[in-house]
Amino acid sequence: MGGSERPPYPPGARRAPGDPGRSSIDAQATCRTNPGRSWIDGVLARLERERVFKWLPFVPVQGLFALLLLPNALLLVYLSFLSWRITRGAWWNAPFTGLDSFLGALGDERFLWAVGRTFGFAAVAVPLELLLGFGLALLCREPFRGRRIYTTVFLLPMMIVPAVVGYDLSMLLIDQGPFNQVLSVLAGRPITVRWLSDYTAAKLAVIGADVWQWTALTFLVFVSGLAGLPRDPIRAARVMGANRWQIFWHVELPLLKPVIAIAVVLRSMEALKIFDYPMLLTQGGPGNSTETIAVYLWRMGWEFARVSDAAAMSLILLVVVSVYIFIAIRVLRRERRRLAEEAAP
Amino acid sequence: MMRRRLFGVARHAGLLVWMAITLAPIYWMVMTSFKHSGEWVTWPPRWVPHEPTLINYVKVLTPGTSTFELGRQTLKILKPLWDSLFIATTASLVAVALGSALAYSWTRFGTGGRRYPYNILSIRMVPPIVIAVPFVVYYVTLRLLDTYTGLILVYLATSLPYVIWMMLAFIEEVPVELEHAARVMGASRFRVLGRIVLPLTAAGLVVTFLFVFILNWSELLLAMTLTNTEVSTIPITLNKFQSANEGRDYGPQAAIGTIATLPVVVLGFLIQKHLVRGFSFGLLRK
Repeated sequence: MGGSERPPYPPGARRAPGDPGRSSIDAQATCRTNPGRSWIDGVLARLERERVFKWLPFVPVQGLFALLLLPNALLLVYLSFLSWRITRGAWWNAPFTGLDSFLGALGDERFLWAVGRTFGFAAVAVPLELLLGFGLALLCREPFRGRRIYTTVFLLPMMIVPAVVGYDLSMLLIDQGPFNQVLSVLAGRPITVRWLSDYTAAKLAVIGADVWQWTALTFLVFVSGLAGLPRDPIRAARVMGANRWQIFWHVELPLLKPVIAIAVVLRSMEALKIFDYPMLLTQGGPGNSTETIAVYLWRMGWEFARVSDAAAMSLILLVVVSVYIFIAIRVLRRERRRLAEEAAP
Repeated sequence: MMRRRLFGVARHAGLLVWMAITLAPIYWMVMTSFKHSGEWVTWPPRWVPHEPTLINYVKVLTPGTSTFELGRQTLKILKPLWDSLFIATTASLVAVALGSALAYSWTRFGTGGRRYPYNILSIRMVPPIVIAVPFVVYYVTLRLLDTYTGLILVYLATSLPYVIWMMLAFIEEVPVELEHAARVMGASRFRVLGRIVLPLTAAGLVVTFLFVFILNWSELLLAMTLTNTEVSTIPITLNKFQSANEGRDYGPQAAIGTIATLPVVVLGFLIQKHLVRGFSFGLLRK
């Protein structure tokens, strides 16, 4: 992937040996700060040097990631080779069992189902969110009376705590609840779907919660994308006699590609983490029918206390997800590079 | 002319449907929070409480600690509310400060290499449950389990990627010529940051802060993993409520939900204008 991305900033800003403009600026600034005045000035002058200055934020950030991620990654791998449960003494005394946990995980149907189900949920929810968000953004495109109110309301769901959404829907979806009431009124006959205890309906409920909340985000991304469309190509196409549909399909949609890419990446990356909705809405039930991978691993670690098995499953999940992450990052890089090329004359 | 009008009507119809779908759940929660226990579950469901009451709010907001006994529990949320507020605010503030400084350093000097922001983002894409299992063991060793510091550090790490990516877009819009001019005139780098970059990206900083604040305010999984009894956030409280009670206490829970939602929504309204630009992730044409 080592493509030729444009340097993030015009050549002058990068460290180029013998760049006259830059070094003279540096020299001047250092001259101005009088080094002898106090030790604070001395420190500041040191921090001023580009060599030091540019690393200032990197030290704490890298330190934080090193502190939190490295030991955990090692611990994760190590634990997965043991056979340890929280109930069985200290982890460093646990017996080493090699790949047993991994084999166990791959033979665990409930785990495989949870992985499949999570991807399934994402595969239904994300396209729905994209389509709805895009449709709504198109409808809200040109100014009309009431547009501001609609936009404000449509953005509301993403500001609500997901756990609250899960809880709220669990209230709406009870068998004799308001949702069934509304459905009955609309259908003109009594409808009694058992949203939280029917296998299929519960799945729909979880997907519905995700769509309800995150269509707001795709809507936001698409609204900003549509607002940022350049006018010239569209005008040119109109002059050349293209109709609305042709303009949309051949001019606007290709221009919107980077925006669509962000929406897809953002949403699918979050959809694989679904945890709050099943937890609060259905507790993974009925049966295991809404148990996502996050919920199952959580239970594995905390309810069943099978830490080593959970660690092995986490690693397997990590491998699966990294394929997806690799693709997502490639897409983002490509789109950003293309934009940078367009911006440079 | 006729077609145009028809389109206008159709548009309103479509938008109104989604507006109803969006508002109904929120409306129901707010209304439930004002209902007496007799009205929580009825057939037909009551959309307007016949005798509005504040009892649910009083119940959850009275000082004291939550008690769990015999399948019945009384939850007090003053402590979780404070914990949530403190943890989310601190983590978000530090994340915005560090992350935007980092984004600046990357855009201007290319520090860390071309792929740095992508690497950071790819870390964020890993589902947190993957790391949750060893995290507990690790935090127990460090004595950070169930502490404010522990949770703040984690939230800092999870918000940083978002801050960096959102701020990239805003910083790229600051004209570098302005910074150069100030430097030539003798301003120090810190002065340039404070007097030029900061004011020009102020809107971005606010939007970014709000976004990561929402994330940290709502986070459930890691909070559940890394806390026990000392520290408790609002989402955890709701989850405890949901899983522990046999007969549901819909009213108090709805009150908690409303309280948890209100501050964020108000903040959101205030910065709505800038929200749109914050989500371009550097992928919008100028």
